[in-house]
Amino acid sequence: MSAEFVLFWVFAIATAMSALGVIVTKNPIASAMSLVATFFFLAGIYVLLWAHTVAVLQVMVYAGAIMVLFLFVIMLLSLGEDTSMTKFSPTRIIGGVATAGLLAALVLAFRKLPEASTGWAASVDQLKAFGTLSQLGDVLYKQWLFPFEAVSLLLLVAIVGAVVVAKPRI
Amino acid sequence: MQLVPTQHYLILAAVLFCLGMLGVLVRRNALVVFMCVELMLNAANLTFLAFARERGDVTGHLSAFFIIAVAAAEAAVGLAIVIAVFRSRGTVNIDELHTMKH
Amino acid sequence: MIDCSDFQSFGQYFSTHGFTDTVTCFVQNPPFNTANIGNSLWMIIALPILGAFFCGVFGKFMGRSNTHLIASASVFGSFLLSVMVFWAVNPSSTVAPNPFGSTLRYAVGADYGTWFQAGDFRVNFGLLADHLSASMLMVITGVGFLIHLYSTSYMSHDKAYWRYFAYLNLFVAMMLTLVLADSLVLLFVGWEGVGMCSYLLIGFWYDDPAKAFAGRKAFITNRIGDFGFLVACFLLVLTMGAFTLQAKNNNFPGDGTGSSQVFKAGLSAKGPLSFAAIDAFTRALPSKADSNQVTLSTVIDNGPLKGFAYGAMVTVILLCFLLGAAGKSAQFPLYVWLPDAMAGPTPVSALIHAATMVTAGIYLFCRLSYLVVLSPTAMAVIAVTGGITALLAALIAFAQDDIKKILAYSTVSQLGFMFMAIGAGAFWAAFLHVVTHAFFKACLFLGAGSVMHGNAEETNIKKLGGLSKEMPVTWATFLISTLAITGMVPLSGFFSKDAILHALHTTTLEGYEHILHWVWYVGLATAACTAFYMMRLYVLTFHGTRAPDAKVPHAHESDWQMTLPLVVLAMLAIAAVAHGIPVMENANREGPLQTVMENYLHPVFQNAMRSIEATGFVTVEHEEGLPWGAWGMAWAIALAGGGLSIVLYRFVFKRDGQWSGPAEFIRSLAQHKFYVDELYELLVIRPVKFVSFIFFKIVDSLLIDTVAVRGTAWVTAQTGAALRYLQSGDAQSYAAIMTLGLMCALFYALFKVL
Repeated sequence: MSAEFVLFWVFAIATAMSALGVIVTKNPIASAMSLVATFFFLAGIYVLLWAHTVAVLQVMVYAGAIMVLFLFVIMLLSLGEDTSMTKFSPTRIIGGVATAGLLAALVLAFRKLPEASTGWAASVDQLKAFGTLSQLGDVLYKQWLFPFEAVSLLLLVAIVGAVVVAKPRI
Repeated sequence: MQLVPTQHYLILAAVLFCLGMLGVLVRRNALVVFMCVELMLNAANLTFLAFARERGDVTGHLSAFFIIAVAAAEAAVGLAIVIAVFRSRGTVNIDELHTMKH
Repeated sequence: MIDCSDFQSFGQYFSTHGFTDTVTCFVQNPPFNTANIGNSLWMIIALPILGAFFCGVFGKFMGRSNTHLIASASVFGSFLLSVMVFWAVNPSSTVAPNPFGSTLRYAVGADYGTWFQAGDFRVNFGLLADHLSASMLMVITGVGFLIHLYSTSYMSHDKAYWRYFAYLNLFVAMMLTLVLADSLVLLFVGWEGVGMCSYLLIGFWYDDPAKAFAGRKAFITNRIGDFGFLVACFLLVLTMGAFTLQAKNNNFPGDGTGSSQVFKAGLSAKGPLSFAAIDAFTRALPSKADSNQVTLSTVIDNGPLKGFAYGAMVTVILLCFLLGAAGKSAQFPLYVWLPDAMAGPTPVSALIHAATMVTAGIYLFCRLSYLVVLSPTAMAVIAVTGGITALLAALIAFAQDDIKKILAYSTVSQLGFMFMAIGAGAFWAAFLHVVTHAFFKACLFLGAGSVMHGNAEETNIKKLGGLSKEMPVTWATFLISTLAITGMVPLSGFFSKDAILHALHTTTLEGYEHILHWVWYVGLATAACTAFYMMRLYVLTFHGTRAPDAKVPHAHESDWQMTLPLVVLAMLAIAAVAHGIPVMENANREGPLQTVMENYLHPVFQNAMRSIEATGFVTVEHEEGLPWGAWGMAWAIALAGGGLSIVLYRFVFKRDGQWSGPAEFIRSLAQHKFYVDELYELLVIRPVKFVSFIFFKIVDSLLIDTVAVRGTAWVTAQTGAALRYLQSGDAQSYAAIMTLGLMCALFYALFKVL
């Protein structure tokens, strides 16, 4: 069993546990902190997948920016504990059953996939270059320039939209 | 070198996705529901990255990149809506928000 | 024949030759190159279209004078171009392109390429101007310009003047398209276009429901005729298609001008609906039975018309065309729209419903003269239709009191005369009457407009009277035109009407020996009636004392824009005499003298005349010398009718004189137009309305409204009411159901794949 496997299992179990923590804790602050932990462990998984750049972005944007936003809002609204967790309703039962069924279906489907391979790589250099910032930047600014610019516009719209929706009067 | 099979990652993504979905379905706090949506988005990211390594194509990485940007925009607007709703209704408990019935 | 080879200029030739020769040569030598004028024919149509566009789109902002200027100038420009075309078709060296081999002299034309094509069938966009078209061009643009000029004053107080001038310009453009078309399809475009403009102009004051209704009546009646026109075109295409497959080499002369290959090549180049193709088709179809040729009596052996003889098909086609022409030219039984069309502005009545559009049916038959002469049956029907129309309309006109209605029935009656001439094969006489009628009837209508304008829109002649001193110009021109239409000797109407009566008297149709003779009697009676009611109109309007119930105590004479066209048209009504006097020798310098019009139109009708000689369907009795006897009789009849009218209405009847006894009964019958409109109401409109009512109840009310519309609404509402309990407004339960659906879909996909 190689080190990679060990790391994968550690990160995978930690990710799943912290994700479970998001949905079972009653306090929203605890949920948010569990989510931050999930993002960190996921970043580790991304590194294992040779996606170093995305891993860094994950930590910076998700754990750094988005979660701070969440925490600010929780503080701002000073929300108490969610007491409705123990109530069971037909909706919740249907939702739980459906989600479990969905998971089963997905697992069944994914088990049929082939093992991983690096057959696409012609040389070791190619393997080493995969997922680096330079390679990503090359593709992003050459082939995906228009979507990239479109995303910048989307963020601008989101900023304006957030201001318009959140402010009582403009 | 023995690699971790892609299906391991995919099953992890499926678990994450279903946990996120379960959270969306059972939690009543709108903020937590939002967090669960973020979980689901991350599951999608993980799937993209797993397939990117499988196929040696960095387009998957770029998709993850765009999803992060969209998630940021969605979080900003969504949280603004939550604040606006809280301001007008005094609650973020979605049990008490039945405006879609009218 | 005058030799004009050394003609250079008017002055040079006049110094060595006589005046008549010089004028002849001057007319035959246009001072410009005639070779390419065919390519420019489209400009004649384009100018009024451009005018219509500018008046219609910008007229509201341009102001009155600019709109008047643009509208009148565009028609005047067309008139100048028409003069050039008229001049260009005179020299015998002018030849239009004709893919069917034979030379098309005295004509200019151009083919602007394929318009549309479907399989072997094609239609080209081509224009052609020969002597017939050129004369029509002169009438349309000349009279059209005068009426535009007149309208600038007549419509000066109307707030929608720009719309009026846009419609009027569009009408001129469509009428020019109609006469310049070189195929039936393009002619039909103009045919429908003038119908549309007529509809728009009749209902010009659309806020009056009666006028809007009159517009609709005209349009719908015309549609019935257009249906006949279209059916005729379709049958013609089928018949010619069958002939192309069945024709034998002997059908075509062996001199290379019309071999079978040339015919087929021409047909594929120009399409079967071009006039050149129909001409070639009729030339290739002899009447005498011959086993080596396809003749009129040969039975069609292919296609959907299999089993019918060619001659029978030609008759059916012509009868369908007669239906179309009867709609457009207001013939029995489709004439009912024309009197109602007087709801439009008076200049419109003059231009569209007297001078130009209503003559389209006569133009169509003149254009297809070579086809008409192949069927004596159709000719007899045309003549009888014309006779019935002429007499009926004249009788109705007896008892009408509305000045415009009388003129409208008079128009219907004169159009009937033209149809009689067509039926007798005297196409030139019909066309001569078209031209002279255009002048004097336009003058009469414009005079009526002037009378209405000066008398606060009063149209009832019983409430007018004594206008001869108050409106001297209108009076003088109205008198000249009235004398022209009644057929007084020195005026144009006498010669054109007499030419028709003479043709009816001397022509015999094979198989229908006595029909034209009876039609001749009808024509004579109609001529007497015409004289009577026109003199009645004239006397009641302009003489006697002013009616006590007139709207205004004193009439006023109209502006120069209105009187100038009256004077010009009255002068033309006199000058058109020149067309009708028999002074010309025919091409072979034998037989009786021809009139100027007959001689001038000879190139157009020569194929029809050749066909008449070859088939023997129509025989014309030639008389030596001038027909003094016939002239004297026609003149005496007109004089008697008119004189009786003057005596009766000037001296016998009081202004409000009532008739009594049986006379009153006949008068009331005529005043109610012999109840033809009521007959239509009973026979056509009521049953149609009844059937519509049934359909309305069953299909509309029951099936569509109740079952389809309300039924679906009811089902939807009930379903919604049942399903509303599922709508909790809880987003999470929706999401849960969605997840359930997603799970089921995924399992289904897995089972399908695995």
